Amino acid sequence: MREELRHFHSKLPSTLKNTIVTAFFLTSAYAVSSILLDHTGQENNSALVFTLAVACISLLSTGYVPGIIASVLSALAINIFFMYPFGRFNVTLTGYPVAFLSFLCIACIVSALTSRNKLQKTEAIHRELRTKALYEQNRKLTQEKNRIELEAAQEAIRTNILRSVSHDLRTPLTAISGAASVLMEDEAVQHAQNAYLIQDIKENADWLTAMVENLLSVTRIRQEDMRLHKVPEVLEEVAGDALMKTRKRFPNCSITLNLPEELIILPMEPILITQVIVNLLENAIRHSGDLEHIELSLYQEENHAVVTVSDRGRGIPPQTLEDINQGKELPLSGDSDASRGMGIGLSACRSIISAHSGSFSAENRPDGGALFRFELPMETEGSYHDG
Amino acid sequence: MTDKRTILVVEDEIAISNFICRALTVNEYQPITASTAREAGVLFCSEHPDLILLDLGLPDRDGIDLLVELKDLSPNTPIIVVSARDQEGEKVRALDLGADDYITKPFGVSELLARIRATLRHTDRLLLAEDSAKDQYRVGDLLVDIRRHQVFIGDNEIHFTQNEFKIIELLCLHAGRVLTYDAIINHVWGPYGGSSNQILRVHMANIRRKLNENPSQPKYILTVLGIGYRMLEDN
Repeated sequence: MREELRHFHSKLPSTLKNTIVTAFFLTSAYAVSSILLDHTGQENNSALVFTLAVACISLLSTGYVPGIIASVLSALAINIFFMYPFGRFNVTLTGYPVAFLSFLCIACIVSALTSRNKLQKTEAIHRELRTKALYEQNRKLTQEKNRIELEAAQEAIRTNILRSVSHDLRTPLTAISGAASVLMEDEAVQHAQNAYLIQDIKENADWLTAMVENLLSVTRIRQEDMRLHKVPEVLEEVAGDALMKTRKRFPNCSITLNLPEELIILPMEPILITQVIVNLLENAIRHSGDLEHIELSLYQEENHAVVTVSDRGRGIPPQTLEDINQGKELPLSGDSDASRGMGIGLSACRSIISAHSGSFSAENRPDGGALFRFELPMETEGSYHDG
Repeated sequence: MTDKRTILVVEDEIAISNFICRALTVNEYQPITASTAREAGVLFCSEHPDLILLDLGLPDRDGIDLLVELKDLSPNTPIIVVSARDQEGEKVRALDLGADDYITKPFGVSELLARIRATLRHTDRLLLAEDSAKDQYRVGDLLVDIRRHQVFIGDNEIHFTQNEFKIIELLCLHAGRVLTYDAIINHVWGPYGGSSNQILRVHMANIRRKLNENPSQPKYILTVLGIGYRMLEDN
């Protein structure tokens, strides 16, 4: 709005405008005084008329200058045109210098007061506009802040519920899986016709357990604002551990581990990184349709440690691939039973890796199959915490 | 077999203690159960169990406190701690405070039984006599000669630095048990050795390279992620 005012003011160059205003009022005052002079003779009121003109000029022009110029011109005009001897400048007659100077002073003071008053008024308007704008901005910011706070609070509640539910699921799942494994080792049960159902119970309980662990990791990362307890770990130990865990759950698949010559040590929260690798291996086992050529590779690339999990299976559907690489929400449930839970596992991978300031991506290999890859920075800002 | 070994199962979840007890009974142990720390204390004094399976999440008391108290009462009774996956810190604390081993929920029956067997065997060895401290340890084709400071795989001798040998020796002495990073660092470099976790990792990695270990199929030394290392045992 201040812009608007300034714009309005600058429509006419201010000097031109001031000149026109000054000329107009002085001319008018001259005209009025001439008429008065014809009717009243020497006892005219030209001084008052010119004072009024000076006041008007000061009011309608900008700055002090036009008023002062008008005052001087008025004083000269009165002296020359409206006082004896008419038509000539004269300050020699008794009282004339006093009259001349006092008129000049009064005109200047009137002009100065008027201009200042006007300036103050303009400033007051500006101030008010500014205050209004600030108030409006403040109101908007407060609204925005309240909205964000509310959303954060709702998110925190959702995360908390998810976390406590996941936490509470753990114990019964341990009991279900444990009871099933006791039954599986019972010889009488092993020979029963329904034995495979117990195997199903065990496998599903273990699958649910893995999902609950993923949910717990994701919610923990969200809750703790990505504060991790990082310790320097040997990457091959972590990968080895993940591979052992995976082999225990899926004894029938063959996974190759490719290790670099040099030792890669980097700060991480080992349990979480193990979880990422287990998720990626499980994803390959469940979804690639190829159990023979799954490879887990570790290597170092400049100041990053890189881990890839590849297979020679059916590859990743284009839509899913796009979602993974563009960091979009992954569908938590698959369309088919075969792809159930893939979203949670990959979401967990992505959350964990980004909490480690790393990058996570997927691609389809040119010679067929999928490749998932994550990179972790070798050194993080700040010091290691030695556990 | 003489009479059955008694195992005190301290676990507040009935469904979990049920399947543990069933598995123990099937495998010729005598389980007794306690669902609170108070009950555990009473049963410990009256039944003198051979081993305690202690869940760290008890309703009436911190499991670690109970662990310390039980170890004070009877340092020779082995305790296996049961805890959830994300309680790494708790596990390390429990091990450093005297727990003999730990197992993470959810666990399989075979895993649990293997831990119990290894722990009991280790305690038995300690109880039998000092002189049974062997001069030689064998794991598969690995032979560690403590007195001569020599390590062989098959017929080939493998050379280790002094600190590397100290680590191997310590792991052998406690074969089957998990040793925390801090326990190993204290033993090798002393409590004020100022050595860091990372140096231990590098030593360990070197040892494994020399032993030609595959990290995904270790034959001798197992990594217990976030906690420490465990030397495998010959059964």
